[in-house]
Amino acid sequence: MSDIRDQQEEFIAILLQRAVSETAEVCDQCGKCSSSCPVSKYIEGFNPRQLIAKVSLGKLEELLRSELLWTCTSCLKCKERCPEQISPYDVILVLRTLAYRAGYEHPSGYDDFIKAVVEKGLSSEPQQVRARKGGRRDRESLGLPPVEKPKDMEAFHENLKKLS
Amino acid sequence: MKYAFYPGCTVQAEQFGYEASVREVLPRIGVELVDMEGTSCCGFPAFSSVYPSAWYYLSARNMAIAERIGLDLFPLCNGCYMSFAETKHHLEVNPRTRDSINEDLKKEGLTYTGNVRIVHILEILHDIIGVDTIGANVIRPIKGLKFATHPGCHAIRGGELNHTDDPENPQELEDLMRALGADVMDYPEKTDCCGSSLAIASGRTTLLIAGEKLQSVKKFGFDGLVTVCPFCFKVFDNRQRAIQGAMGDRSLEVPVFYYTQLLGLAMGLGPEKLGLDLNLSPIDPVLERILEE
Repeated sequence: MSDIRDQQEEFIAILLQRAVSETAEVCDQCGKCSSSCPVSKYIEGFNPRQLIAKVSLGKLEELLRSELLWTCTSCLKCKERCPEQISPYDVILVLRTLAYRAGYEHPSGYDDFIKAVVEKGLSSEPQQVRARKGGRRDRESLGLPPVEKPKDMEAFHENLKKLS
Repeated sequence: MKYAFYPGCTVQAEQFGYEASVREVLPRIGVELVDMEGTSCCGFPAFSSVYPSAWYYLSARNMAIAERIGLDLFPLCNGCYMSFAETKHHLEVNPRTRDSINEDLKKEGLTYTGNVRIVHILEILHDIIGVDTIGANVIRPIKGLKFATHPGCHAIRGGELNHTDDPENPQELEDLMRALGADVMDYPEKTDCCGSSLAIASGRTTLLIAGEKLQSVKKFGFDGLVTVCPFCFKVFDNRQRAIQGAMGDRSLEVPVFYYTQLLGLAMGLGPEKLGLDLNLSPIDPVLERILEE
């Protein structure tokens, strides 16, 4: 790892500790989040309670590097059930933002989604879908209107490029 | 009742049965849907994960379009609903972010004030139209059938949203099924995630989470599953064969419906108007029983 990467990590650690320190300090480590989590049951190592503990200790390198960061389903049970109103879900989003921008690995689906929206305004274009008894149907065959897109694509591109 | 109607990328790109049934059914019970011009993606889940400023911009620009036509915003997707509701809340408590987004929106001739209300389909059906009115429109009751009700995570959880239902024991979708004449039985896993959002990072895990849910829907003795979320439907219905493969169980068959498809059938509409030929799960035996009434 280069020196620059080390410095980035330290910087991120400080930022994140600041962003969530109040949150993390009041965590009782009760584990309601992890016991509610649908992913913990299937993916070994995914554990919202431990994630909050690592954040409060500033141990971020492992969190940002880990592919586990991308396996939250955003079901919001951890956010809903926390007795201290901490939201591991929102902490995960902060970590994802930092990991993505610092150039850590992430599922390629994120890049595809972002590229599609920047280029076309939509994450997916209308498709021809399969029918249960064979054949394919499009929007028109169901009498559905054409889909909308931003009117001023140039201004839309300009805005999105600036923000992403 | 009149709303700015926002189907969302997933519905308009591929969940035609949902959009068709909503456009067919809602106007008949007094809900006028006004199509919006110049809309875009809401930004969930990729932008909300990695570019929050771009996410707020994308959600705000769609809300601004609803404000321009002077109507409250009705997104037909649990993900878009959460995206708009969270952005609205964020921009309320962070006026500086709102101002900076308005600078960007100005280039598109749009302004976001925050006066728009975001409404979920369960709120429209259950709280605004009401179960009595829905019941009064039923001419072909869905008798003798039990459906597992699965509203979807973002219909029931998230502190910034307008939920009226109990996040730990939601009742609205059950009330709405009762209004159609269906037998209602508690589905103990109705608040549990379908796993859909994991598809972007671990498709196999999505299939296992959804598969275990379908197994218990069968075990509890339900005749089918009903939802109002396009992502949940996509996994449970469109991916049901893949789920069978991942679970190693070809007999894992559960008929899956959108609520508005069942509502349309109960109101006497034909299956073709409700996009029911696009449900890929084996719905025919259940459909025949409903049409026999």
